[in-house]
Formats: sequence, C-alpha cells, structure tokens
Amino acid sequence: MYGGGNTFEKLKSKSIQDEDPEKLAEFEARIARGEKIEPSDWMPDLYKRQLIRMIEQHAHSEIIGSLPEGTWVTRAPGFKRKLALMAKVQDEVGHGQLLYSAAETLGKSREQMIDDLISGKSKYSNIFNYPALTWADSCFISWLVDAGAIVNQLANAKGSYGPYCRALDRICIEESFHLKYGHHCVIHLATGTPKQREMMQEALNRWWAPMMHFFGPSDKISTHTEVLMRWKVKMASNDECRNQFLDMYVPKIWELGLTIPDENLKKNEETRQWEYTEPDWEEFKRVINGDGPCNKERLAVRAMAEERGRWVRRALLNPKSKYVTPLA
Amino acid sequence: MSIPSLDPRLNRVDIYKYHKELQPKTSMDQFETYEVFVQSKETKPYQHEGIVHAPNKDMAFLFGKEQFSRRGTCTGLAVVETEKIMVSPMTDNSENVYDHVSIEPEKDGKEETYEIFHLFKRGKHMMHQGSVSAKGFHDAYTQAGSTYNTGKVVLNVWVIKHADLLFNTDDQRVIWSTLSEKKFRDAIAYKALDKIKKFKEEQTASN
Amino acid sequence: MADDQLIIGHRNSEWNGLGPILEEDIAFCSMAQDKIGQSLAFYSILHEMGESDPDTVAFTRNSPQFHNCQLVELPIGEYDFSLVRHFLFDTAEYLRFNALAKSKFEPIADVSAKIKGEIQYHIMHANTWIKQLGTATDESIERMQKAINVAFPYALGIFEESKYEGDLIDDKIFIGEHLLREQWIHEIDKVIASTDLVLPDLAAEEAHLGGRYGEHTEHLQPLLTEMSEVFTVDPSAEW
Repeated sequence: MYGGGNTFEKLKSKSIQDEDPEKLAEFEARIARGEKIEPSDWMPDLYKRQLIRMIEQHAHSEIIGSLPEGTWVTRAPGFKRKLALMAKVQDEVGHGQLLYSAAETLGKSREQMIDDLISGKSKYSNIFNYPALTWADSCFISWLVDAGAIVNQLANAKGSYGPYCRALDRICIEESFHLKYGHHCVIHLATGTPKQREMMQEALNRWWAPMMHFFGPSDKISTHTEVLMRWKVKMASNDECRNQFLDMYVPKIWELGLTIPDENLKKNEETRQWEYTEPDWEEFKRVINGDGPCNKERLAVRAMAEERGRWVRRALLNPKSKYVTPLA
Repeated sequence: MSIPSLDPRLNRVDIYKYHKELQPKTSMDQFETYEVFVQSKETKPYQHEGIVHAPNKDMAFLFGKEQFSRRGTCTGLAVVETEKIMVSPMTDNSENVYDHVSIEPEKDGKEETYEIFHLFKRGKHMMHQGSVSAKGFHDAYTQAGSTYNTGKVVLNVWVIKHADLLFNTDDQRVIWSTLSEKKFRDAIAYKALDKIKKFKEEQTASN
Repeated sequence: MADDQLIIGHRNSEWNGLGPILEEDIAFCSMAQDKIGQSLAFYSILHEMGESDPDTVAFTRNSPQFHNCQLVELPIGEYDFSLVRHFLFDTAEYLRFNALAKSKFEPIADVSAKIKGEIQYHIMHANTWIKQLGTATDESIERMQKAINVAFPYALGIFEESKYEGDLIDDKIFIGEHLLREQWIHEIDKVIASTDLVLPDLAAEEAHLGGRYGEHTEHLQPLLTEMSEVFTVDPSAEW
C-alpha cells in the first residue's frame, strides 16, 4: 500500500540545462514513443533523483504500512481472517522488498534507504502515523487505505521507469486481494451486529480525515512538475487521485449504510468533481514532520527489528561477497 | 518513558531501547543480491522476476521461493548471483541487439553450458530462450546470436553459466504442490455481494 | 496435532513484519500460514467427526482444554530460539506426517500426504538455517547452543503419549510416539553433527510433559486470550 502526497518539490540535482542536449533529446523521444526507460539507459540527474525519492518513499510506506495492521495480526477473529491478515501483512513486506529493489537499480543501496527511514531523513505515507485502535480500524485500512494506494499505483504503473513498472504490476495484482479482503471485512462489520456496526462507524469517523490527507494537498503546478509529468514520473495530480478515489468508493461506503463524517461531501454533477470540507493541511504538515500519534513508535519498531536482526545478518555475511547493482 | 503500544507483540519488548543504541548500517549489512527466475508451468520458459538479498545461494533459493512463487503455480525456480550474469547493451524497441553488438568469442576456454535470456520489450521481463554449449560468455553470446536470432527483435541478452544457477531438483517440486489450495491469498476468496444485496433489501423493507 | 500447529503458527506469526531481513520475514510468515492452514485441516476433520466448527474450537477454549505440547506455547524469544524451535518441531512434524500418510485412518492419511510438500520446504528452511548459524560466528554458535539447551527438554515433550497410544498403534493409525522419537533423534542428530553445536545428553534430560493432558506453562493462557480478543466480543457474530 502506498500514500500519495509525494513531495515533488525541487531536489538538489544537476540542472536540466547542464545535461547533454543530444542525450536528453533521445531520452525524451523514447518516453514520448511510450517506451520504458531501463536501468542501463542514460537518464537526466533530476529524473534519477526524483525516482529514487519516490520509489523509496513508496517502499518505506509499505514497510511502515505493515505495522498498523500488524497491530491486529495476533488477534484476527477466526481462521479465515487470521490467514488473510497474515498473508496481507506479508505482502506489504514483500512489496517493500520489491520497491527497494527497484530503487536499488538507480544506485541507492538498501542499507542507505533503511538508515534514512529510521533517522527520519526519508518520509513515508503520513496515514500510517495514526493508530489502529480496534479491529475495525484494521478493516478500514485493509479496504480503503489500500483502495487509495491502488489509485496511486495504477497511475504510477503507466510511468516510464521499467523496474518500477514491473514491481507495480506485481503489487497491483496482490493488492486486488487486499482490496477484496478489506471490503469483505467491512461488509461483515457494517451488516453485522449493532456492536460490529458501531465499531465500523467509529473507525470510519477516525480514519476519514487521514484518508483525505492521504493523496496530499493540491499540487502547485510549476515548470518542475511539468517536466516530471512529461518524463512520466508524476502521472496524476493529487486532486485527480483523490477525486477518483471518492468516485469509486463513496458510493460503496454509503451502500453499507455508513455515514461519512463530512456533511459537505457531495458530487457536483456538472463538474463531475467531488466537493468536500477542505482537509486540515496544517495538521497534515505537523504529522508529516514527526508530531503524529504514532510517528515515534513506527520508527522505534523498525529500529528494533533491524537491531534485533543484526546478529543474524552479521553471522551469515560472507566476507568475500560483494554487492553489485541489481539488473532489472 | 514509553507509552504502551496498541500492538500486544510490541509490549513484550522494550521497543524504545533499540532506537537509542542504533548504529548506521555497515556496507553489506543487507548482503549481496541474487536474480530469481521462475517457471510458472512446465510448458513455459523461466522468467526473471526480480532479486532477493541473501548471504548465499541456498538462502537465496529459500527466500526467492516465498517472495516470487507464493501464488499461482510454479514448477521451477532458479537463482544466481547478480554479479555472475553477463549483460549485453540495451537497444531501442526497433533494434535487434544481435545486429548491433558483436563481441570476439573466446577460442580456448572449457566447453560449458550457458543459459540465454532475452528481452523483447522494454518494461517487460527477461525470458529464458535456450541454452548453448560454449567456450566462454562471449562465445555463448555469439552462438546465441545465430541460434536464437529468429527474427523477433531482441533488445537485451543475459548470458548465465548453467553451473552458476541453483535450480530446484525434480524431487523438490513438491514444495509448490499445495499452492492452488492457498485461496486465502487471492481476491476470489472474498465474495460478499450477496451479503450487500441482502442488507440493502432489509434496509428497504424496514423503511 | 491441530493444537500444536495452531499455537506454533500463531507464535511464529508474531515475527510478521519484524524479522531479521525482509526476505526471511516473508519466508517465515509463509510457513506460519502453512501451520495455521494445517491446523484448520485437522480441526475440520474433527468437525466432521462431531466436534464444533474450527473457529469455535480454536477461539473459545481455555488453556486446560488445549492438548499442544508445551514447546509450541513458549514465547518467541529472540530469533535464535524461534529458529531452533522451528527446527526441532518441524523435524518431528515431517516424520509424523510421513508416518501418518500411511495411516489406516483415511482422512488423516490424506491430509498428511497433501501437506508433505509444505513440510519439505519447512525442513529445507530449518536445516539450512541451523547449519549456517551453527557454523558461522562464535556469537551465533553460542546463541544457537543456548537456545537448543532451553528448547530441548520441551521438545522431548512433543512425544508425550496419549491415553489411546496403544489403540492407535494396534489399529495401525499411527506408528507411536516412541518410534517417532527414535527417528527424530536420528534426524536432528544428523543435522546438528554437521555443525559446531551439540545435542544435550539424552540420559540427563527430563522431558517437559503434561501438555497433551492440558497442563501448560503460564504462557499459553495469555496467548489464547490475545488470540480470541476480537472473536469473543461476540462469538456468534460473523467477523
């Protein structure tokens, strides 16, 4: 799973004006023809840096994203849920692995990425800084946070970087299980006993604001984002993704008789856009910068997992082995 | 002071102890990488699926199996160190790499079997094409260029010494035998339209 | 057997997302899923024979009603202990299911034959890890040895005989715990002998028994309470 709201602001990189014009033209023509870029191709510095950041954030979001649902992995009710949730949390870890691998083809090592996650230098999707208070919260995440992630991922899978697209193809197939599983859980709660229904409604009340934050604030369209769109790094605007999500899922939430906690939420049939109360972007910024309910715990858990596993990795390392950049 | 986690697993350890002690990772903390190839059906060629980080080939096989063949069907898996693969340059979609790149074949190496993998479209996966007996990587590439250059445009070639690949044995194929029963990993196991329909009918009836 | 598999699968799932390296996290979780799936298969056989449905049996009993050996209920500890337990337990399972595949009781023979492949992977996994960590560094050898010393008396409890042991053997349903234990010692000894580890002296070890008769360590009840926390909010509801 994956949050939008990527930071696409300028990175410190070689200016496009300083790139070899002939190679740049060839690179842009390849993308314009609809061909993918592969790791051994020449690419502009900005393209490489922006992709590393994006794929890395995506990978971290999978790894950290496994934690709120992991909260319930030992308490899933019944065999069917227990097996599914284990498989789902496993998939998130697997997706993190696939995405780290894709970022590695661009030259950043997994060691460095993990360090940057734990030190707070790299970001991950903000939504995972909120707690999964009850089983119903984990069901909300499985269904709707994954649904949001799929909106982003399907867009990104049409991007220009080959290894990222291959990883996303596999991820999207696996996420279709997450989505159906999550929907299945929510349906059972929403149509179940009054107690179950209440749990589900409360979870929806808690998660709606973070869900609206999930796609990030409206993009500032600058020449920088225009270049990234032309290079098929950024595939859709945050508002487009949010609108698509609302289009697909609000009716499905309503049909279960649940109430979305935003009385201004409605579709404008003329513009075909959803209207809603403007999310609190100050809170979004505050949480992304470390002051959310779970930021500290999430990073501490990753630090713990890395540290407790260290003796295992140290014991197995063959001193003669050497790392080369993965191929595809 | 640490606040209890909502995850009971995490309250059994002092999760905050480790963050303070944490050192930056040393190089190779995550090991070298292995490229993983999967054969989904006996009639299909091995396809490159991605990499695993692992300390050696045996572990890479164990890891590759669950990362790349825990769904669908699988009849074979092979892993090889990334550094042991010879990779050709990559051409554009209309150019056949065999027409553009030639290398001097080795003349006096030991004859060995090499496996040849091709890429036909950017963004897609490397596919196993066949094997050749050759005196070295360049010789294998050159031979593949005449044996497997069948008119379909090849963009990229990987040459791997057969002996460097760790395959499962025939006896080990049984490790995938219950894959088809693990329906809980697939979307198809979670149908609930009937429940929604029933719920809506009840709602309408009660209104 | 169903209780054994449920409890070890549950314990191993506690590593889900917290393993020593991403790839191993995935592999270990798959095996935990296999265990849970196997326990479900055996609870389903019991259900067909008249027991309650698998969810009710698994999620509503208390510790004295569980028949698992004590080895599987112990906390996960550090990765050394979890790996050693996985090795000791899965080797026994491998042999048990090999034997049960020839059982005269068909439902058990069928399930045992079917899951052979899963367990073969578990054994490959366990043996590879034991061989590697058991020969790697002073630290890893010391850790693994300590874990073996702690786990071994509990592992001997896997082979605690039930009241019906004689009948099961006579009816050719099962070869019996004694024979199984002999095979197990032989198999684990083979692997351990290829490492720098040693097996504790069998004559000096006393098995931790009682699990098969509902006597458990203080660790099982909290595990069950945690596992059924949501389910027991309303056991009659569909979750």
